[in-house]
Amino acid sequence: MTRLRALTSSFRHQMLHFFAEPQWLIPNIIAPFVMTLVALMLFRNSSGNFVLYAILGGGMMGMWGNTIYSSGYSIQFDRWNGTLEAVLATPAPLVWIIAGRALWNALIGILNAVFIFIIAVVWFQVPLALADPLLFFLALFVTLLSLAALGLVFSSAFVLTRNANVLTNGLEFPIYVGTGTMFPIAMLPAWSGPLSLSLAPSWGIDAMRYSALSGYVGLDMGYWGDMVMMIILAFVYVTAAFLLFQKVENRVRVKGDIGRI
Amino acid sequence: MSEIRPIGTEKVIEVTDLVRVYKSSQGFIHKKKKETLAVDRISFSVKKGELFGILGPNGAGKTTTIKMLTTLLIPTSGSAKVLGFDVSKHPYEVRKRIGLIIGGERGLYFRISGRQNLRYFADLYGVPRQEREKRIEDVLRMVDLLDRCDDRVEDYSRGMKQRLHIAKGLINDPEVIFMDEPTIGLDPQASRDTRKLIKDLLVQGKTILMTTHYMFEADELCDRLAVINKGKIVAMDTPRGLKSLMKDTCVIEVEGFGLTDKDVETLKAIPGVRAVSATMNEDKQVLRVQVADAGEMLAPIAGRLSGSNVIDMKVKEPTLEDAYLWLVEKND
Repeated sequence: MTRLRALTSSFRHQMLHFFAEPQWLIPNIIAPFVMTLVALMLFRNSSGNFVLYAILGGGMMGMWGNTIYSSGYSIQFDRWNGTLEAVLATPAPLVWIIAGRALWNALIGILNAVFIFIIAVVWFQVPLALADPLLFFLALFVTLLSLAALGLVFSSAFVLTRNANVLTNGLEFPIYVGTGTMFPIAMLPAWSGPLSLSLAPSWGIDAMRYSALSGYVGLDMGYWGDMVMMIILAFVYVTAAFLLFQKVENRVRVKGDIGRI
Repeated sequence: MSEIRPIGTEKVIEVTDLVRVYKSSQGFIHKKKKETLAVDRISFSVKKGELFGILGPNGAGKTTTIKMLTTLLIPTSGSAKVLGFDVSKHPYEVRKRIGLIIGGERGLYFRISGRQNLRYFADLYGVPRQEREKRIEDVLRMVDLLDRCDDRVEDYSRGMKQRLHIAKGLINDPEVIFMDEPTIGLDPQASRDTRKLIKDLLVQGKTILMTTHYMFEADELCDRLAVINKGKIVAMDTPRGLKSLMKDTCVIEVEGFGLTDKDVETLKAIPGVRAVSATMNEDKQVLRVQVADAGEMLAPIAGRLSGSNVIDMKVKEPTLEDAYLWLVEKND
């Protein structure tokens, strides 16, 4: 019960911090705008499906960028503030606290995707006709959870480092490329295939494209196969995160550097 | 403090041969490993309802001791139990039952209100949801912060932030409270309010372990004190007991202006001088010179300071600060 309280209250806590600093909305608008602009310039003369394909990729990039950046910044902020030590002194395991925050960060990442769609439709007048809206939103929701799970795994490293921002910057682009949000995984060298397929969001973006684009041919497993793979991988991430956080919590108690900035 | 309220016999904190070594490394290719012994085989116990103080210079190991007892650090060796739970083996059981109050500006979320801070920590401590709001009101009233609790913490004064720290440390109604320099940087009024609050907590039966740099505070509040230097406990007694270590000592207080650290060193070199402490303000300096026989030592001290601007010299009774300085210098 304490664990669930830690999760829900950390989710709310992260929300309060988001609304306490309205400037957070600026990157949430500017970055998607630039991404959409680039995608539309590159694929201006392509068919409607290809434009939608690019916009979905842009939305996904926005979601991941926000998840990883906010998760890193949240831990960095706590370290600078001296509150990382304060939350570690409570009986709530750190993994539940960070999980609540990662969920909010992933959820707010939807804002990026929403802005991208709005900019594409309103500004650039791209026709957005989803082949199966229900399945699309289901895939979007599960992808969101898988992003939070992936963010949670990386967050364990953020707790250990004094400068999480360096790690977040380094982790942004490999995931864009590896998950096929920038361009299809098939275009990547063969050796990177297993790596891409071990990332849950790769399956998520594929599932979203299956449900959004009629006649889309992506990974061999189809929409539901993508969904199952994504859920399995997300569970693996969460399990790994719990084990990693146990190690991390023990390590910071041994090293005694959690309060250092 | 022990004269005005009963102290139990049950030991709620038990520390045995506790050691903490920090390991660090420097350099990238040629790594240099370094070990620092921060706490060196300390042992003590604290009884239910007692206020136990830890005194010591900066870097003596006070905060490290508190961090081990509050489970933030794992001891290198030895054992520490709080309310019967080993801090290494059962950290979550310990955390449920204790409160940690730290001094200073950090440790609070500045961009949200004081109430929102407390609500978050109440949730992390698992305060039952139906009791949470009442508990928040109670602690806010206790620290006199009800009227500003919905303002953002970044708009609080230093004293208000400290009061919020205290409220945060009490949110789970802990049996044992750890305070690390709770009045550091506070103005005299805020310090006095904090000391009154600490006394109220003792009346409620709480057990407190506190570190402080302020001797008058330790003298006023603590039932027992441990003086720690370079990680070792060099003395442990009641404030009166520690002061009695100075029963064969007199203090000559020298007041002047333009006195320097060189004068302090000069006085320390006089045979028969046990220790010298100095309060060096810009407009006035006060030196406290510990000697065995004030009558004999007045003349040599005055002689050494003959070229300095001495305003007054008085013979005084030794204080806890004198005892502390003597102990630290003796064991340096």
